[in-house]
Amino acid sequence: MISNHLPVYILILLLISAVTTPAIKPSSKKFRPKLVGTLTIASLLALTMFIVVWTNGPFYYNFGNWDSVIGIEFFVDEYTSLFVLAVLLISLLIIIFSLEDILHDIPKEKTPHYYTLMLLMVFSMLGMIMTNDLFNLYVFMEILSLTSCGVISIKRNKANIMASFKYLMLGTIGSVSILLGIAMLYMVTGHLNMGATSQTISSVWQMYPRNILISLSFILTGLGLKAAIFPLHVWLPDAHSAAPTPSSAILSGIVIKIYAFSMIKILFRVIGIDIIKAISINEYLTYFAVISIVMGSVFAIGQKDIKRLLAYSSVSQIGYVFLGIGIATEMGLVAGMYHIIAHAMMKSTLFLSAGAVIYRTGIRKVNEFDGLGYELPLTLGAFSIAALGMIGIPGVNGFMSKWYLGLAAFEIGKPIFIIFILISSFLNAVYFLPIVISAFLKESNRREQIMIRDDIPFTMKAPLVVLGAACIVTGLFPNIIVNVIQRALPTFMTFVF
Amino acid sequence: MKKKMKKAKQKFDQLILKIFPDIFCVNCVLVFVIYLMIILLVGIATTIGLGGGPLSLSNPDSFLSKIGSFISSFEALPLIIILLPILGGPLEAIIGKKSSILRDTLVVNTTFITFILIVLMYPQVMRGGLSFSLPGVLGFGLNFNVDILSYILAITSGILWLFVSIYAHDYMDHEKHQNRFFLWKSITFGGVLGTLMAGDLFTMFLFFEIMTFSSYVLVAHNQSNESMLAGNSYIFIGVVGGLSILLGMLMLYAYTGTLEFVPLASQLAAIGWPKYIMVGLFVIGFGIKAGMLPLHIWLPKAHPVAPTPASALLSGILIKIGAYGLLRLTISVFMPNPQEITGFLDPLWDVSRNLGVMIIWAGIITMAVGAFLALQQCEMKKLLAYSSISQIGYIIMGVGVTAYLGYMGAMGYAGTLYHIINHAFFKSLLFMVAGVVFYQTNELNMFKLGGLWKKLPLTALLCLIAIMGIIGMPLFNGFISKSLLHHGIVEAYEYGHASFKYAELIFRIVSIGTVAYYMKFFISVFLGELPEKFKNIGGEKGMMDLAMGGLALLIIAIGHVPHFLMDRFIIPSARALTYDPAFIKKYLVDIEFFTYSEISGMFWIFVFGILLYIAGTRFKLFQLTFYECLDIDKGLYKPMYNGVVSISRKFTEKFEDKIINNDVVIYSAILMVIMFFLLWFT
Repeated sequence: MISNHLPVYILILLLISAVTTPAIKPSSKKFRPKLVGTLTIASLLALTMFIVVWTNGPFYYNFGNWDSVIGIEFFVDEYTSLFVLAVLLISLLIIIFSLEDILHDIPKEKTPHYYTLMLLMVFSMLGMIMTNDLFNLYVFMEILSLTSCGVISIKRNKANIMASFKYLMLGTIGSVSILLGIAMLYMVTGHLNMGATSQTISSVWQMYPRNILISLSFILTGLGLKAAIFPLHVWLPDAHSAAPTPSSAILSGIVIKIYAFSMIKILFRVIGIDIIKAISINEYLTYFAVISIVMGSVFAIGQKDIKRLLAYSSVSQIGYVFLGIGIATEMGLVAGMYHIIAHAMMKSTLFLSAGAVIYRTGIRKVNEFDGLGYELPLTLGAFSIAALGMIGIPGVNGFMSKWYLGLAAFEIGKPIFIIFILISSFLNAVYFLPIVISAFLKESNRREQIMIRDDIPFTMKAPLVVLGAACIVTGLFPNIIVNVIQRALPTFMTFVF
Repeated sequence: MKKKMKKAKQKFDQLILKIFPDIFCVNCVLVFVIYLMIILLVGIATTIGLGGGPLSLSNPDSFLSKIGSFISSFEALPLIIILLPILGGPLEAIIGKKSSILRDTLVVNTTFITFILIVLMYPQVMRGGLSFSLPGVLGFGLNFNVDILSYILAITSGILWLFVSIYAHDYMDHEKHQNRFFLWKSITFGGVLGTLMAGDLFTMFLFFEIMTFSSYVLVAHNQSNESMLAGNSYIFIGVVGGLSILLGMLMLYAYTGTLEFVPLASQLAAIGWPKYIMVGLFVIGFGIKAGMLPLHIWLPKAHPVAPTPASALLSGILIKIGAYGLLRLTISVFMPNPQEITGFLDPLWDVSRNLGVMIIWAGIITMAVGAFLALQQCEMKKLLAYSSISQIGYIIMGVGVTAYLGYMGAMGYAGTLYHIINHAFFKSLLFMVAGVVFYQTNELNMFKLGGLWKKLPLTALLCLIAIMGIIGMPLFNGFISKSLLHHGIVEAYEYGHASFKYAELIFRIVSIGTVAYYMKFFISVFLGELPEKFKNIGGEKGMMDLAMGGLALLIIAIGHVPHFLMDRFIIPSARALTYDPAFIKKYLVDIEFFTYSEISGMFWIFVFGILLYIAGTRFKLFQLTFYECLDIDKGLYKPMYNGVVSISRKFTEKFEDKIINNDVVIYSAILMVIMFFLLWFT
């Protein structure tokens, strides 16, 4: 009975916490425990929800007991609950990291505002993951858009405000594009609920094919812009590099994945795999994905600032997810969805360790990383583990995504994709390995001035260690995630309302 | 602060020395004696015929036989053997912060315990292979399968690591960052053992990558400019090799559905032309690791620049892993099931045959170019590095013969395996000798050395033993493996295509060249006049000599009792594969090594080698210079890498801002494009 309301509990908890955060003074002792405590309780609730779904199967949750056709509905399957849990845990770690780190970006009086925005962001992300209603998706998407702009521009800096403004403008274009697409779908199907829409879509497809096609193109372009596929990624480098580190981590690691997941939901649950294959939209997705994979890495090689480099690397990695979606077989979806979670862990680790380096030494340029391995061994160690994962070394979770993508590509008989994946692995090595090598194996002339080692605060060290360990654990035992995905696959391949 | 730590370390060391003088030396001598006892014990036990079942002690309920049966049925041994060095490494690094003597003792002991555990696998391996799986790891599960091939190579690695660890204590006195060196050396050991004991390609790939990355740290150890460049070359080419193998693995899994080392020739035959791409990928991937031409360029840079213990390991075992990978594929993936074929000419051997031709010629080219370049070198370690390339050429040729001759490939198989083992021993001994010379004189250029036999007599003798081994002098181990390989290539043109007669000719010429350049090495370094500045260098160091002596003993022992390895390990291993049993019986069992034709053949090779050496020094043939464009490294690889980086940079500079400034235009363009494609459909 109680377990049924779990999605709502999580959301309400986050919402209330977000709204009441400004009421507590940042210097009071209750501030940090309240933040961390909220997210921890939310994570525990998410864990409970996951266990419930794993044992009992997916469930629908209708808000206010209104019928699904009229009201808002959440649909929680195994992968959704796992994703919710992952988002909450990673956000928890990022917020723990930010407790110390944010203080050198914004003044202390503003930190409540920052955490309000962060909590609202997590709230909207969870809403977007769980929702089964198209317009509800749009509502949460707007909240996510505005709060992500907020967490970038909270630092009162010219670059930040410019970047945030650009993100806002492009984000609005993307959102409106998606809204137009949703409206056109509503126009012909008469439903906003994803399940109801998917029931009527096949008959609608016979009657109004053009309408659906136009709406799809609007939705896909909008989602592509928000998920940062090349060449629609233009807002990402400025936004992610100028933002304070915790914001970059959460934006690059999680937010863009939410849009990719929404694309999966819309394509596979609303439109349905038959129509997709009929119009071969998945092929176009794979072309964009491949371009994104290669060009993201090419641009990353040319970067000198570490955060911009990581931002372009995200463009490349989102390409992997889109490639998995585009392949549109079971193995492809497994690969794409596994990579969503794997990359969230890896990218957060990378951004957090880069942030720790900037916090401690102020170094942002890639060619100044010499000898940092001696100053900050833990930080650079976590960075190296995540970097090895991005390159694709077995033992870290990045390798498994490439393996599954490779198998999926062979399944549909297009081995050319694998060549691109491996080229991108090599390009990743070209820009990640020099950083790792120079950090550990080059002498820097700063070493004489160093007294103590690794003096970043504990709240910054702990998330790095946990995330690095999580990368290795999910790399050695990918079945933890893959089994969940495989249980949830039927709801994507044939959505029965 | 660092000076304080150093002082504390020295104090601790002195404290230990007071309590227990010379703990390291005593420990090493003890280890060596126990090692000798184990080897003798295994030798006697297997000759009398105790191997194969539990130790046949009279009372089956006695404590010893209970231990015996526990050991011979303990299945998780491979996992423990791999975990021991990988976990021991960090432990050694931590202890190394306190005391270097304790750390070195721990290194030797850990390596020795690992070696004992490897030996303990013997009963199970002899019974038909030791299989162990860890399901769920990495999605597919880790599979270990130790058959005789893996086993003998694991023993070789164990012996090598043991002696290198004893050697490294004295050698690393002169180097910095010692803890890091020993840490990554141990992890590399774990990686090597994992690769050797892997039961399917996936597990092998995991440990292969671990091995590549951990050995990188050993190569770049000195952190000098040269080391960093060599390290960059090593790791980037290593990553490309790994990706190549990954692609091959994906293809194999997609087409056949399995990655295990089982005979798959029938499935491969059904694939059609993609199988040649797959084979090519594997050859490139493993060939990069092995140092096959033209993918060898990292080797002459990496092996000289690493500290000597690391060079000995790199040349001794790590390049063999590449050859082992190729050999494994040849005898499993490309080999048909025994029940499916009707003999030598069965068409299922076709893939193997085509593969074999390619590999034989790759091996011949490798050995020729390696020997030719070795003749030109004036630096000790570079000469040894090129010699490694040449000898790997022999091994690769052997793999090729095995593949080419298919059903009758047992001779090639035996030669390859034997030469892998032999080369591990004599090449690491040679590197150790070079290391001793460098340690005492700090000079690597051969022409600036000379007459060192007066100062380092034992080292000179051991060097002579190793050289006797590598050139193939009868009564030393090289003779055995070279004869086997020679028989193999002769069979290739007897049973196959006549063009391999030229291959055999090149084989003999390269052997002549080998004699010449090793004469050059020995004479320049040890004979002749002792230069003034070296008149006061130190003499022999005990532990280094112990390590080198151990290897030399093995070289002599294998040379005198060649049938031990043949009968106990190589022939049973060949019998387990799809080779013609009659062929094995006729040609391999009780093979006569010391026949007149073999020894006289060797005699003429020695004569010509000496003549070549005299001619070379007389006519200055050994200092040829080359055109820069013939250097593959500068001509092909560096430009490719620089090209990738500079194209990316130029692209970024030109287009990044333009793209960012035209964001909305791009959005509308993409929207139009997508709509166009979709609507065009209807």
